[in-house]
Parts: sequence; C-alpha cells; structure tokens
Amino acid sequence: MKKDVLRDADYWYNFDRDIFYNRKAKKAFSLEFVDDKPEEEILQRIGENTNGGGWTFYFNSEPSDGVKRELERVLG
Amino acid sequence: MPERTPEDRLREEYFDLLPQIRRVAWYLEAEIRYHTREIFQRLKPYEQLVIKSRVKECESAVKTLRDRQEGRTFDPDKLKGYSLLRLSDLAGVRILVFPNARVVEVDHLLREHFQGWTYKPVKDDTGVAIVPKYWGYCDKVCNKVRGEYQVVPMLLGLFWEVEHSAMYKFKAVAEFKEMKKHRADVEHALSRFEGGIEQFVQEYSEPPSETSK
Repeated sequence: MKKDVLRDADYWYNFDRDIFYNRKAKKAFSLEFVDDKPEEEILQRIGENTNGGGWTFYFNSEPSDGVKRELERVLG
Repeated sequence: MPERTPEDRLREEYFDLLPQIRRVAWYLEAEIRYHTREIFQRLKPYEQLVIKSRVKECESAVKTLRDRQEGRTFDPDKLKGYSLLRLSDLAGVRILVFPNARVVEVDHLLREHFQGWTYKPVKDDTGVAIVPKYWGYCDKVCNKVRGEYQVVPMLLGLFWEVEHSAMYKFKAVAEFKEMKKHRADVEHALSRFEGGIEQFVQEYSEPPSETSK
C-alpha cells in the first residue's frame, strides 16, 4: 500500500495539512498526490535526489511560492 | 503589527455575512417545516421527522475552504483571492427521517418546492448516491449566501454526527481501505435495520379496509 511505503521511508503525516513529510529528506507529499499517483512513482520520488537544499513539495498542482513559504514555516 | 492572513480576512468576511447566514438558515428551516407539516401530522407512532438547521461556525467555514486547497494552505500572497461565499453550506438544514420510505416521500415533496436548486447527493465510497442533498438561494431573504438541505435516513444521520466529526480531523485515516470498509459495514447494517422494520410493519399491519370494519 502507498501509505505503508511512506511509513517505511520514515514519513509522518501532518493531520492539519494532510501531507506526508520527512524533515530529514525535506520532502512533502500532498494527500491528493499520494492518492492519484501509482506506488512506483511514490517510491521513485522518495528515492529522488533533491540536493538537500530547501523543501521539495510533491503536489498535483505546483504550489505557489506563498504556499511553499507557509508550509516550510509549519514543517520547520 | 503582524500581517493579516487570508484566514483573518475570511473571519472578517464571516462576521459581515453572519446576519445573512442566520436569515437563510431560519428561512430555509421555516419553509421546510411548512412544506412537510402534512407528512409530520400523519407520522405513525414509531416514525420520525426531525428538522435541524445550523449555521456553520466561523472556524469550520474557514477550515472547509482551506481544506479545498492542496496542502490545506492558503496562499498568503492572495489575501483577497478567497471567499466564504464559495461554500454552499454556510446555512444548512438537515432533515432526519425514519424509516427510509419517508425519506423518499420528503425528498420528492421538497424537490417540488425548491425547483431550480442544484442536486449534489452525498455518495458512499463506491460512488453511489445515498443521501439527497441540494443547494440554492432563498431569494426572498438573501441572494448572496447559499442554503443547503439534505434529507437523511435518521440512523445514518445520527451515525454521521459522530463519524464526521472524527473523520473530519483525520482525513487520511478516513481514506484507508479498512476504515472505508468499517464505514460501509455500519451504513449497510443501519440500512438493513431500517429495511427490517419497514418489512415487518408492511407484513403485519392490518390493511386499512379491515381496520375500519
């Protein structure tokens, strides 16, 4: 199951924002993205190298800079 | 002074709209009570028709709108880009009916009186419409705030009162296969229970012609 894949990769769920996130990897997946994409793609994104700078958001619709800023503040 | 957020602006909009929301809820409830009075008068002792109106609370309205955004986050750069008027349930009426045969009767009756309202049924997890729901404007009192009503089998409605408030907070959990199955099991059981009562009443009630002898 897709949600188990995320759990196994140390992703937590933010119940307020409905996103799966991993602070160490600085990646966040929206619930809609996880629901809509196949498990293989989720696995591929989990393993993807993002060069570790800022947060990477996997959303169906690219979030605006303002939304990214706000989520980065929430996720710390 | 801290910057105003989209949430702050929506709260301000909510309290500007509140008198109108209250008016729509009151009017819609009164209309529905008036139109269903005849059914109410001939309910059998075990049958029920309960009409409840509610005004959506401020934080709930803001959260509902926020939850429509992916990542459940408003864009702080679009301060005026959001409006609570996009919600169709700021003023809502729930008509709880028991047993199921009365749901169909009430639904048909109200549909005649609320012609032109948009039908948007509540669906179960398999996509089947299980509760008729409608939204529209009560033009006589307000053409800005929409009203919404739904005709709900009573047992299901009471179950939802608990289930929705729990699942509302844990959306992802609600989407888990196991939880969908548990929910479907409860809904089917409640529906079977209602069906059982109706069948029993139908089979064991003396026909009217016999009663009048």
